[in-house]
Amino acid sequence: MIDGHEILSQLGKLRDVTGSKDIRPLSWALFPGTHCPLMGAAMAVRGIRDAVLLVVGTDECAYYTKHMTIHSDDFGGLHGRCVSAVLDTRDVTFGCKAKLDAAVEELVAEYRPEAVFIVTTCVVEVIGDDVDAFAEGYTARYGLPFLAVHTEHFKCENHLPGLERTITACFGLMEAGPRGGTVNLLGQRMGDFSATELYRVLTGAGVKVGMQLPCGCTVADIRGAAAARANIVVNPIALPLAEKMKERFGTPYVLFDKYTSPVRIRKAYAELFAALGLPLPEELDALYREAAEAAEAAKPALQGVRYIYGNTPFDCLEFNQFMVSLGMVPQLIQTVSVEPERDRAYLADILAGSDPYVTKTANIAPLQPVYDILRPDLYLGHEFAARLRKKGIAMVRSDRASSMLGFEVTVFITEELARAAAEARDYRKEVQV
Amino acid sequence: MSLTRFLPVPSDRMGILWSLLAIDGCVVLEYGPAGTTHFSVGLFGELGVDRQNRLFTTHMREDDVVMGDVSRLEKAIVEIDRNLSPKAIFVVASSVAAVIGADIRGVCSYMQERVSARLIAFEQGGFRGDYAVGLMEAYKLLAEQLPADDPAPQPDTVNLIGFSMGSYRALSDRWELEDLLRRAFGLRVGACLCGETGMEEIERMGGAALNLVLREEGLPAARMLRARFGTPMVTGAPYGYAGTLEWLQKIADALGREIDPVLRAEIAERLSDASQYRMSLMMLRKDRPAVTVVGEYRAVLGAGGFFESLGLPVENRISLHSLRAVPDPDPSVRVCASEKERLDLLRGLHRQLILADDPSLSVCPADNVTLRFAMPVTRGAQVARHLPLMGLRGADYIAESVEEYLQMLR
Repeated sequence: MIDGHEILSQLGKLRDVTGSKDIRPLSWALFPGTHCPLMGAAMAVRGIRDAVLLVVGTDECAYYTKHMTIHSDDFGGLHGRCVSAVLDTRDVTFGCKAKLDAAVEELVAEYRPEAVFIVTTCVVEVIGDDVDAFAEGYTARYGLPFLAVHTEHFKCENHLPGLERTITACFGLMEAGPRGGTVNLLGQRMGDFSATELYRVLTGAGVKVGMQLPCGCTVADIRGAAAARANIVVNPIALPLAEKMKERFGTPYVLFDKYTSPVRIRKAYAELFAALGLPLPEELDALYREAAEAAEAAKPALQGVRYIYGNTPFDCLEFNQFMVSLGMVPQLIQTVSVEPERDRAYLADILAGSDPYVTKTANIAPLQPVYDILRPDLYLGHEFAARLRKKGIAMVRSDRASSMLGFEVTVFITEELARAAAEARDYRKEVQV
Repeated sequence: MSLTRFLPVPSDRMGILWSLLAIDGCVVLEYGPAGTTHFSVGLFGELGVDRQNRLFTTHMREDDVVMGDVSRLEKAIVEIDRNLSPKAIFVVASSVAAVIGADIRGVCSYMQERVSARLIAFEQGGFRGDYAVGLMEAYKLLAEQLPADDPAPQPDTVNLIGFSMGSYRALSDRWELEDLLRRAFGLRVGACLCGETGMEEIERMGGAALNLVLREEGLPAARMLRARFGTPMVTGAPYGYAGTLEWLQKIADALGREIDPVLRAEIAERLSDASQYRMSLMMLRKDRPAVTVVGEYRAVLGAGGFFESLGLPVENRISLHSLRAVPDPDPSVRVCASEKERLDLLRGLHRQLILADDPSLSVCPADNVTLRFAMPVTRGAQVARHLPLMGLRGADYIAESVEEYLQMLR
């Protein structure tokens, strides 16, 4: 049996973390492990409707990526725009260029794409083929953009760099032009932006939304993105692209992450409308009050509620700070990154009343005995709900927030936390019986 | 022909993984970047393979790749042995580990004295062939490493070798085979390489009365077991009515037993009923019937034989995997040089009965009668465990498509 005490004894506490390198995994044997950047790249290309994803790698990498896209309408299903150049021993030994040349020729003839993202995988990076140079050559030869995206997993923690690199690669498509009146949305990974509060507020204020990368755009949208008045960055994965656009085209950007704290959301709205040179819409006062009241209303039910943080659509430490402000008690936080200097504002509040264990993400197998020791009320993230229930733990389901931005996030998550806390109390009774 | 539009043929490593994960009491530890393991979980779930406490990854960082540091693997082995006490830990190289030449076997060798579990290394990293080669390697290594010496004789037990969880309707086929063996001879299935089996069964497999080799990739393992334990073997799988009777007869001959007369009579009745198809075919005025079968080599041969026994000519027999692990393959079965060649061939078929995998069927013109017959499944999912392709029920199931085809022909 896995010894939960031993696992915890090897973990660091949040207070002692001096950098991300201090975050230890729960165990050396991981299950299921993090997603890889190849998947992140596929997630990004999914939203660029007339681009093709060309995976260059082993049968296995190609198989799993295609498998993931088969039931995706965005990708076009089985016959859709995810294809691959599968490498064999000969390609690994002598280089993959010959195979890639032939695959690209077939691809261009059959799919007639507006752009092709050539996504390398671990093996291509190990053998050192210069796929950037190959992509430049194809661009010149076929007269359409080929963008190389590197997705070796052994150099990064999870799938987010794949998303980041793919959308950053789009910078190469952008063309300078006269400034227009739109704003671009950068970094929304999932969900429909038009369903968000932020979208409603922007359009209500007469602001037109331009390119939405990567959640829904065309190559032409990307080409014209530099005409935007400003960029709204809704996830840090888009910061490198926003920085490049600011430097090259002078496009300002505002970070409007999926914040949970109403105060922080209000500040983000203020910065955004200042950047747009527009007055703050009056409706935001009411939305703020509603969010703040929702948070206040949830506090009695959440006082002293203990939780283990797995993964959510939110910024890890921002959300933890918010939960602590509601009276909740973090026991264990799973994350890949804590930098005390960068995260100072969050950490001070979290550590004021608690000092949770901290460990890496995506390793739920060794968590099972840890539950028996820490006895949390809630688990935030993806786990097996029935298994948690047997231990008296309720699962907080936050995926719906993928399609939310603004004060609606606060209202949703506080209600969900309160619901889950009530559920946990029922589960405790079941366990006692 | 270098572009893969649909799903590539799974690699040797994938075949090894879904085989090893089907063994209860063991753990598979992948030495490689974690993303591959996470990505694979969805596929293995679709195949009905249990991953809970059976599949782990070490992850791999740049230091491990550049410096060849294997301490992460060593620690994971010790941890799994202590925490889960499996009978065996299969240490499987990733493609990255294979390319950098990580000495997985060496690590297992020196780590063996530090753990109780049996450590078995699989160094194929996806570059030694497709999954059929992987299946052969998995069967071979398991048959070589795991069966115990001096097993107790099990005169009423047979082993299945050459079973694959990656085959379409695998668990249904197993159910049908068990039923046939029980009804025909009162036999039970012992070890099953590899599907829903346990370490205990594999350790005892040397005592079984017979090894049934369901696909050619299992032959090297069966030969090893014959050399070591003297266990006889019967090769082949029961497809069609006549094919099922023939398969049972081979088992009867090998064991010196008789097929249960009730079952024999049941098969004879089915054979009699099936003979009417020849008459129907003779009455066709316009169409020339033809069948195309696309799938795994053994299934293609088996189903092809069934159709010919019904009087239906088989125009194309196409194996979806390489025949490298098939000794003396039947020349009527071909492997297309590329996905494009296969798809182009299928696009040109008309008014045929086509048995194939979903991607292949997706390009067949609508004037054919089609039946899903192989993996991958991309429409819906396999749920039933009682809808085999093998045996009598499998023949009944395929015969329903023959009926539909005959109704279409003029």
